[in-house]
Amino acid sequence: MNVAASGAGAAKIPPEAIKAIPVRHPWRWVSAVVVLAVFASVVYQIATAPRLKWDVVGEWLFHQSILNGVRVTVELTIIAMVIGVVLGALLAVMRLSANPVVSTVSWVYIWFFRGTPVLVQLFFWYNLQLVLPHISVGIPFTPAVWQADTLPLISPFLASILGLGLNEAAYMAEIVRAGIISVEQGQTEAAQALGMTRAQVMRRIVLPQAMRVIIPPTGNETISMLKTSSLAYITTVQELFRSQELIAAFNYRIVELLIVASVWYLSMTSVLTFGQYYLERYFARGSARQLPPTPLQRFRHILFQGHAPPPFPPADPLPVYPPRRDDSGQGM
Amino acid sequence: MGKQMVLSEAVHKRFGRLEVLQGIDLEVAPKEVMCLIGPSGSGKSTFLRCINHLEKIDAGRLWVDGELVGYRQQGDKLYELGDKEVCRKRSEIGMVFQRFNLFPHMSALENVIEAPVRVKGENEQVAVERGRAMLDRVGLADKIDAYPNQLSGGQQQRVAIARALAMQPKLMLFDEPTSALDPELVGDVLDVMRQLALDGMTMVVVTHEMGFAREVGDSLVFMDSGIIVEAGKPRDMLANPQHERTKLFLSKVL
Repeated sequence: MNVAASGAGAAKIPPEAIKAIPVRHPWRWVSAVVVLAVFASVVYQIATAPRLKWDVVGEWLFHQSILNGVRVTVELTIIAMVIGVVLGALLAVMRLSANPVVSTVSWVYIWFFRGTPVLVQLFFWYNLQLVLPHISVGIPFTPAVWQADTLPLISPFLASILGLGLNEAAYMAEIVRAGIISVEQGQTEAAQALGMTRAQVMRRIVLPQAMRVIIPPTGNETISMLKTSSLAYITTVQELFRSQELIAAFNYRIVELLIVASVWYLSMTSVLTFGQYYLERYFARGSARQLPPTPLQRFRHILFQGHAPPPFPPADPLPVYPPRRDDSGQGM
Repeated sequence: MGKQMVLSEAVHKRFGRLEVLQGIDLEVAPKEVMCLIGPSGSGKSTFLRCINHLEKIDAGRLWVDGELVGYRQQGDKLYELGDKEVCRKRSEIGMVFQRFNLFPHMSALENVIEAPVRVKGENEQVAVERGRAMLDRVGLADKIDAYPNQLSGGQQQRVAIARALAMQPKLMLFDEPTSALDPELVGDVLDVMRQLALDGMTMVVVTHEMGFAREVGDSLVFMDSGIIVEAGKPRDMLANPQHERTKLFLSKVL
């Protein structure tokens, strides 16, 4: 067949939208039925468990002491994560520093705080006053500039913050470092070639690009922190877990109150999961040609198209460039 | 040494035990366009990076615009330059890379104004004005808000040139600026470089584009294994190479 002729012929007939019978997916339906059956069975058994008093769950779910616990848990999580992220970023930059003293300090910090259980660290800060009744700041072997008693200073709340935050910093340092390393060396060179200082290169060029790699695991860490903060109950700080435990200790409705706490933990982590998604979208600017759809867009798509959209839509077709001019100096 | 823009005397550079530059002597006059050619691994990119303090030289002396690169001389003693000094010197030299290295999280205009604002402390309004003018100069006035990944390779490279020009450098270094481009996009970048040469910019260009070297270059240097094998006028050298090594290389690339 003559190619030119077929091309000309194709141009005359407008292309018709393809109407084909889609591939059937019977196993999707089978799996849906199986999953629903198992789910229904589990829900039914829990819902009708003879000794599980659901009215107790309802009674305590929004009780003031539980709500206070939720508030303290949120406070602990936010403050510990802020400490973790700020200190972690600092440690990561220190770790990559050309200054051997600074990078060693960072290495030792990470080694120590990542190498001991967070529960031990929480206990340590809580019990610091046993070995160190006074804390002082000043030059060694000279009178202290500032001094305080450990006990009122390190409250249960502060002990929790220190235990959770300093431990988190060690993990965040490694996450930030991985992000920094992921940025192409050429970026640093291009920025240096423009005369930017090390600090400017880090702040303006490397860190913003590293964020794309740093954000997803940081979201993970935040969700993890929300739950790990329950360990702070050993410092007697009344966060969510301790609040429910105190109630269960006098009404013996242990499982009911655990459900109360779980409902709260699950709701809060769900909110965080949602927030993480939008943060990731924001930092994907400039790296993905098209942003991935939001959960709402995905939901609409499933509703109207019958299947999920691809997580990353295919890139735009390549633009067509005009042929190069003849005077381009390529005469050889 | 007051007259040359770049002056290199017996410059040596080692990476571990590999001697990448084994004594480079050359001069680049103001407004001169020098093209460096040679097989990969011949040290031409390394030499370019030495000029811009991206690599430290191990022996010899290198001057840019009469000032020693990387060191300060007092009497017969050399003092290593601090970060601040190195940054100041780099800011006066523009560099264009093979792989563009645009900042992907910034639009074309933001790429161009970043250094004038942050490094030179220029007023943002002024920087934006000149940034637009620079992008117009490289033929991308309609792409100021585009992010690098929305641009073709040739467009990205032209933004990279505009970014370097925005610092108003006295010397421009090009490290194989067209090697990563589709053949049909090479011309636009070379056009911009040719115009730059006509405007009187001093340029050192590592390239495989012999056509560009012949038409735009004032001088041509052929390097191999860390030494300069042959140097001269591009037309003479390309038409009538003197050394066997040069002949062999040119027979393969022409």
